Amino acid sequence: MRPVWLMLRKDLRVLRRSPVLLAVLVGYPIVIALLVGLVAGYANAKPRVALVDEDGLPAVVTVGAEQFHVDRTIRRVSRDVTLVRLSPDEAARELRNGKIVASVTVPAGFTADLRGMVQSPRLELRTTQGGLAPRVTQQVQALVYSLNQQLQEAYIKANLRYVDLIRHGGGGSFLGRNFDVLGLDGTARLLDQLPPEPRLKRIKSFVRTAGLALDQTDDALRATANPIRLVRAPDRGRTWLLSAQIQGYALGLTLSFLALLLAAATLASERDENVIGRLVRGPVSLWQLVWGKVVLAGAVGGLLGLAITLAFGAIAEVGNVEGGEPWGRLPLVLAGVLLAGASLGALGALVGALARDTRTASLVALLLALPMVFLGLVPSEVVPPAGWVSDAFPFAHAVRLFASALYDASPWRTISVQAAWLAGLGLACTALARAAARRLLL
Amino acid sequence: MSEGPLLAARAVSRRFGDRVALHPVDLEVRPGEVLALVGPNGAGKSTLLAVLAGALAPSGGRVEVRAGTAVGWAPQRPAHYGRLSARENLEFFARVEKVPDPEQAAARLLDELGLADDRPSAVLSVGNRQRLNLAIALLGDPDVLLLDEPTAALDPGEQRRLWERAERRAEGLSAVVFATQRLEELSRIADRVAVLVDGALVFDGSLAEHEAMPVESLFA
Repeated sequence: MRPVWLMLRKDLRVLRRSPVLLAVLVGYPIVIALLVGLVAGYANAKPRVALVDEDGLPAVVTVGAEQFHVDRTIRRVSRDVTLVRLSPDEAARELRNGKIVASVTVPAGFTADLRGMVQSPRLELRTTQGGLAPRVTQQVQALVYSLNQQLQEAYIKANLRYVDLIRHGGGGSFLGRNFDVLGLDGTARLLDQLPPEPRLKRIKSFVRTAGLALDQTDDALRATANPIRLVRAPDRGRTWLLSAQIQGYALGLTLSFLALLLAAATLASERDENVIGRLVRGPVSLWQLVWGKVVLAGAVGGLLGLAITLAFGAIAEVGNVEGGEPWGRLPLVLAGVLLAGASLGALGALVGALARDTRTASLVALLLALPMVFLGLVPSEVVPPAGWVSDAFPFAHAVRLFASALYDASPWRTISVQAAWLAGLGLACTALARAAARRLLL
Repeated sequence: MSEGPLLAARAVSRRFGDRVALHPVDLEVRPGEVLALVGPNGAGKSTLLAVLAGALAPSGGRVEVRAGTAVGWAPQRPAHYGRLSARENLEFFARVEKVPDPEQAAARLLDELGLADDRPSAVLSVGNRQRLNLAIALLGDPDVLLLDEPTAALDPGEQRRLWERAERRAEGLSAVVFATQRLEELSRIADRVAVLVDGALVFDGSLAEHEAMPVESLFA
């Protein structure tokens, strides 16, 4: 191990003499992590959706006995999309050029159907093609769901008014026709005025039972209109920025760039400096040369990973984030960072051995790190082949390990599996790097 | 000490893929001699020295090093870390090669070669980088010193001092093997000359025997 230690000390000294390189190595992955965060944030932003009003919606629509202020209602239910009123032509043009991601058309006759309460009025949805379409469809479905909820309340109230008329009697209107209803109460009063006889007793019993049954209509209507209600709990989870997954991604992404580039560039630089012959003729074998770079990547990655974890922890503490930072898990995270750094370093060493000169090695490492990271960000449930390819690289396993080590209640199974992946991939890459390192002697 | 060679190549060959850089070569380096390896560009001189130094594994044959013999090697292109100073380079390689008291060994060579400079070695002059290259080869006081075109980047004064140092080493039981294309250097220092052409050893004899050969035939 002494030669590996000597190489590590030498590399750390060289790194300390290269402040610009060090700053780029540390700063670049952080910038990439921020950019990925921004892109992820954009993915969560409200999509712009056109509202095409072909029916000439009035300012106020009365449904049952309820009055709806159209603009106010739209604002209330469209929390997840930005609705903009456009003409049909404008909407079609903007949908074609991608300025809007969908258009919702209110067709002629919509308000009449809504008021009539006989048939369901329809809204027409048009979306762009491609990746955003399913998400926009979901968001518009959510918008229609919210509208339906508002309307259900109005319909239920209207229906209850009719039930109330049957129960207690009085005047009402339906489809523009006025009518007067005796009601069960009035019926009971009339029946009391009639001379008693057995058939009358049965009718009175029916009127009483029907009255009791209609008293339950309110709850029954609400329950059948909404078999399952979603109620948002008042306490909230962690903020998105500090979620386990994002902390895992930030650590994995930063380590991937740093460890890959560092190991690739430092191994290739041994050849650029023409020292490999000098090293291997002494007690530094090619194995030890490669191990030196793997250990270097693990050590420097460990330091940066520790700094990032502490930074997240400090933000969580200062911001008084729900759940706080799991400081007790820090040793576990740090062990994971060292293992992931070494595994990614082994991949970097393989790149450095194959590329042979520092510039090519750095470029190839960068070109490899970008797709590796982005593949790891694609949910494997959505694109299974991306998951399979991603599993062949350490990034995805590192992210799963970090997220589990940070917040899983019982992390050991996930950690064991992902650590085994990282160790296996690291050893395989180290062996391949050792085999390829013979090229460095030529 | 026995009379056998300090270092010997026994049917040593080397291929780089399909290209044969060195056909089987037999060569012995004896105590106290200065052996010059000459030949045109691409003749295999650097490859033979790298194989003798143990930096390259031979594709065939073997290299024999007498027990207890230390071999120093200065490759043609300086081999040291540009971001480390001359002192740090010497101390690092001294530790790697397990030289006793690395700091003291480095200080002695820095003084001997006039390299007391704490700047990164990348900013040193070409001549000073070549001297540092030589200093690293001298770490551990080797019994056989292998020098690959050592005077290529040196001015006349530095060349003279280098050959004086080589002569002093050869006065003892140490040996010096150097590769060169400068035939005028042979008469300055060499006892023996080996000529390589296209990876094959075509001549191995005394300086007088070599001087009797028509030079043009070697570099045609």
